[in-house]
Amino acid sequence: MDTIFWICLLGSLLELDTTYAFQLTFSRGIIAGPLLGLVTGDVMTGLQVGIFTELLFIDISPLGGLLPPSAAVCCTVSMALCALEIPVYFSFFFGAISAVLFSVAEVLVRKHRIVWIQRQEEKILKHPSHITWTILQALFLSFLYTFLFVFGMSASVGFSVEKLLPYLPEQIHIASRFAYMAVPWVGMAALIPLFRLKTR
Amino acid sequence: MLTPWMHLRLFFRSFFLQTGWNYSKYQHVGLAFTVYPFIQKLYAQDCQNYPSVLQRYLENFNTQPVMASFCIGALLKQEEYIAKAKTVALHQERLVEWNGIKRSLSITAASIGDRLFWGALKPLTLLLALCAWLLLDVNFFETVSSYSPGTWEIWGACLAAFFVFNVLALFVKWKGISLSYFAPNNGCFGLTQFDWNKTIYQAKRLGIILSVILLLWGVLYFIHGWEKMLGLQFITRGVLVLFFVSISFMTRDLRIPNMYIYIIAVILFNLVCLFQL
Repeated sequence: MDTIFWICLLGSLLELDTTYAFQLTFSRGIIAGPLLGLVTGDVMTGLQVGIFTELLFIDISPLGGLLPPSAAVCCTVSMALCALEIPVYFSFFFGAISAVLFSVAEVLVRKHRIVWIQRQEEKILKHPSHITWTILQALFLSFLYTFLFVFGMSASVGFSVEKLLPYLPEQIHIASRFAYMAVPWVGMAALIPLFRLKTR
Repeated sequence: MLTPWMHLRLFFRSFFLQTGWNYSKYQHVGLAFTVYPFIQKLYAQDCQNYPSVLQRYLENFNTQPVMASFCIGALLKQEEYIAKAKTVALHQERLVEWNGIKRSLSITAASIGDRLFWGALKPLTLLLALCAWLLLDVNFFETVSSYSPGTWEIWGACLAAFFVFNVLALFVKWKGISLSYFAPNNGCFGLTQFDWNKTIYQAKRLGIILSVILLLWGVLYFIHGWEKMLGLQFITRGVLVLFFVSISFMTRDLRIPNMYIYIIAVILFNLVCLFQL
């Protein structure tokens, strides 16, 4: 449980880099994956999860307010599940699903943040120096809900799958491993159209 | 007015441009936070002006975070003109210009930044890292591998991708503030200092070449060592690669994201395995 906590803590901090602070690409899969792997003690699995995450989401860019699934959330949940000794092909599947669910949650948060922002605006106009406090609050709240999301997902999915794992037939393992092995090929093939010079 | 110290402060504060991003006014809180020290200094003798000035920065603003530096520099230069306006009419005229700059420059900067940083540079650095890992013999295809690569083999490519992206992004972010601030009136706010279209074109051309190399190299790497065992596993691997590469190419035109292909693959394989094996 300790490892999951630290993975989720680091993952939530890395997720801030996606949008809310820095954008120095700490949150991209190939960086976040190995960093989270350091916490679990399995950097190679972290690296693989990171590469697969980037390749899986490579065809969705954050253009014009579009919200792609979060690579940091995918890596965090995947690595947290791996820490519970759930095979990586199951972990990655739930990590990818979590990333999609997180982007849905993020859209809702961004819509409902408006009410809070309006209150902050009033305070800023009364006391301009309040803007620094607003930024700090926004960062902390973003970190907090990301942490609650990834920790909630990792803990609930992790303990459910852990209980189910001994009863799963071997076929499910083979099928999930095959689908997992397909991820880099789908991603690498998507890279060629991505660099197409003529845009549609 | 844009002293080296102020330049540095604007640069560091611009890392929080997107904090508080929302669907109503987008990056407005981040923009106000970024320019706040400059406004404070500019209107130091006239503190009661802060709210009305900040109010303007707290209106809609949305652009690409790296290219936002061009908007920040240009808006602050115009803010100086507003502060120095001698008559009410001139003040109003400069306010209208300020709004025009904010709207048009943010759209132009977003268009360039999205195509360059998210559309070309980020996937290009991923390609660079993947090629480096294959070159260093880091087998990221296998789920279980007896071979454990060294620290430098893993982190070397990560750091290369990280530094290539950030050196370019931070250079543009840093230079953007001063270029747009000191740009002459007909200088397009410093945007013409770089040949963006040529850079994007070259990056995409390099990307296509590297993608093809990576795909072919990946296939060779994936099936390497399996020549001696032309059995079920080899054929399965070959079919799997061909099938998914073809599917991925086909679904591009239908605009189906990779994510859905993966989910469909999981469901399909599970159904096949459960009912056929």
